[in-house]
Amino acid sequence: MLSLAQGPAVELRGVVFSYGDKRVLNGVDLEVFHGEAIAIMGRSGAGKTTLLKIIAGLLKPGEGVAKILGCVSSGSCFDNLKGKIAYIPQTLGLVEGGSALYNVLLAKAPEKPLRFITGIWGGYYVSKALEALEAVGLLEKAWTRVEKLSGGERQRVAIARVIFQGAPVILADEPVSNLDLETARDVVGLLTELRERGVAIVAVMHDRDLAQRYFDKIYVLESGVLRVIS
Amino acid sequence: MRIVVVSLIPTAALAYILGLVDPGLWARAGLNISRFILLLGVRNDLWGDALAAVYETLIISVFGVSCGVLLAYLLAPLASPLLAPRTIAIAGRILANSARTVPAILWAILFVILVGPGVKAGALSLAIYTSTYLAKFFYEALESVDRELLDSLRAMGLRGYILAFALYTHIRRQVISSILFMLEYNVRTAAILGFVGAGGVGYYILQYLSILDYPAVLTFVIATIAIVAAIDIASYILRTRI
Repeated sequence: MLSLAQGPAVELRGVVFSYGDKRVLNGVDLEVFHGEAIAIMGRSGAGKTTLLKIIAGLLKPGEGVAKILGCVSSGSCFDNLKGKIAYIPQTLGLVEGGSALYNVLLAKAPEKPLRFITGIWGGYYVSKALEALEAVGLLEKAWTRVEKLSGGERQRVAIARVIFQGAPVILADEPVSNLDLETARDVVGLLTELRERGVAIVAVMHDRDLAQRYFDKIYVLESGVLRVIS
Repeated sequence: MRIVVVSLIPTAALAYILGLVDPGLWARAGLNISRFILLLGVRNDLWGDALAAVYETLIISVFGVSCGVLLAYLLAPLASPLLAPRTIAIAGRILANSARTVPAILWAILFVILVGPGVKAGALSLAIYTSTYLAKFFYEALESVDRELLDSLRAMGLRGYILAFALYTHIRRQVISSILFMLEYNVRTAAILGFVGAGGVGYYILQYLSILDYPAVLTFVIATIAIVAAIDIASYILRTRI
């Protein structure tokens, strides 16, 4: 469990980002604390994915500061955050050809490269990965290749991976798109339950009802600026 | 249909320039082929030698593929700007591309000079040749992966070879398909490496051709066709099961 006294897990101050001449983010401010789950909504092309990528350190802001777990995303300290950020893209970021278990174990590859390369993970890691799959109700499909799983099951594998990863920051880009309402509720429920472990969650959502039910705050990204609506 | 017309015009023009429209040429060719067929037959006493030579060719090919896969697996991530620093990727790509322009037969000549004639030269030449082609196939496949997958793995902290190995799992169909293609290709190529002394069935075919022993040549050719067909069938079965 992480302490709230550590300050915000995610902190953006005046973040500006442009694709060429097109300014997508125009001075975004945001604070997300450990144990807090926030939803970001907005029209397609509003810059929600760009914002998540900036938090994940995959894009550098043109202006302003993005701090994750106290490290500025453009600084050398950010490189030491290996494995502390979990990013679930719209396409889930699962490795096809690998089983559900392989995809979950992949989260520890940066820490345990030799185990990953040899495939010899040992009982401890395998049992922890299986526990994560069990938590999302996929234990019996642990050895099934992810491309053979349904959309909902794939979403669950992605969530099992972030559970196993134990990352203090989870970024999810439309984690329940293309799912029926019941499955979407299950998946969002599983994701937001991780708050109890002190995890900070930033998710891009389209469904306002789901966002209101499961998230602490809802923001809307409009004209490059983020504002709280709920 | 347009492609047929477009192909037909240069084919006809160049056939005329090359002298291929001469009716006398085709009459002589017909006469020669009928004489050649009359000389054909097989030498049953050579089947043992032919199988041994084909086995040698197969060993050269399989070594070429397995060693080439190892080299390409390590080289391809270095030639991809998505996985390696830009300068290293450019250098890696130039190295792989330049090496690929050298045909297998020239590598064979080089290795015959370096390690002497025989299977060693053939095996090493095919290993280098295969690695340059597979490196290209692999880095192109690595670069075709979905950027969101790449972002997700990078955000988790995967870098360099660890990231590459995860991506290899994702593109394993293309990887296996490329390896099977090179295996088929190598068996055919290994069959002619013997022409320059690099071992395999080609050496025997050249020797028997030089003394005009066509039945012996045909015996070795049939054995080669059999092994190429067997590899093609095995490869097809494997492809359908990936």
